[in-house]
Amino acid sequence: MRQDLNLPGSASTPAIQSDWQAGRLSLQGDSYPENSYELFSRVIDWVEAFLERESRPLELSLELVYLNTSSVKAMMDIFDLLEDAHREDRKVGVVWHYDPRNERIAELAEEFREDCTFSFVIRPLEVSA
Amino acid sequence: MDLLTLRDTYLQQRIMLCFNGPISRSLIEEIGHALRNYLNRQSAALSASMDVFAVYIEMTQNIRHYANQQGYDEEQATATIAVARDEAGHYLVSAGNLVEDADGRHLVEAVAGLAGLDAIELKKAYKQQLRRPRDEAAPSGAGLGLIDMARKSSRPLQTSLQPLSSGQSFFSLTATI
Repeated sequence: MRQDLNLPGSASTPAIQSDWQAGRLSLQGDSYPENSYELFSRVIDWVEAFLERESRPLELSLELVYLNTSSVKAMMDIFDLLEDAHREDRKVGVVWHYDPRNERIAELAEEFREDCTFSFVIRPLEVSA
Repeated sequence: MDLLTLRDTYLQQRIMLCFNGPISRSLIEEIGHALRNYLNRQSAALSASMDVFAVYIEMTQNIRHYANQQGYDEEQATATIAVARDEAGHYLVSAGNLVEDADGRHLVEAVAGLAGLDAIELKKAYKQQLRRPRDEAAPSGAGLGLIDMARKSSRPLQTSLQPLSSGQSFFSLTATI
């Protein structure tokens, strides 16, 4: 067990929740901090610890809206960890929810998915009117 | 102060939003917020508004990183940012800053190198840069951001580099959305 993350998010940083028991990590909102590495190193540490100490499945639930390039790089590092785990027969997956009006984020998610062989679902949110 | 001349210049160049001054992290957020609201009120397509915002963020954060890395004081760390709309309805996102002349020339070359690439080649260059180790990517800082902007721009990125009396140069970059 490791301390879970529960970060509220701000204009430039996503809200982040981790749930060690459930094997779930969730991120929502915009991500464009000047120093993405500083923020994401905590997330990367959590993912590394989970994959190392547990053998249970891990699911990432994403509702990210916009990522600057340094956040994209940090997310790629996280997906690389999942990819390595998947190659060792661990059950890992990503579900990325997006607003169907925002095709840019769907395109970005699709480019991430191209480099992943684990389950990577890109799913439009239901939008009222 | 001659605000009328300033206003006429803005109108003539169809500038919707402009900033000139020392740029802080919170100012980048505030101006970005204003920019998004403005584009939403203009009922710009969400994809265009996302691209304008993304280019604006990459440009201003590159300027901040560069000024920090150079140890520039507040006056030298000034950024000039403008978002305009051309007659065809494209958004022009421009940012300019002081640079050491050699760095400016390096940037102009890097942008010129991207100008010859088509969408598929740009995507390949983007993914390659993404995979480069952090330390290696750091020196110029702007590597991934420049390729990202080039991918979002419907025309090749435009640069200009003008020498200043201080021995430094003024570098400016424009993307067309």
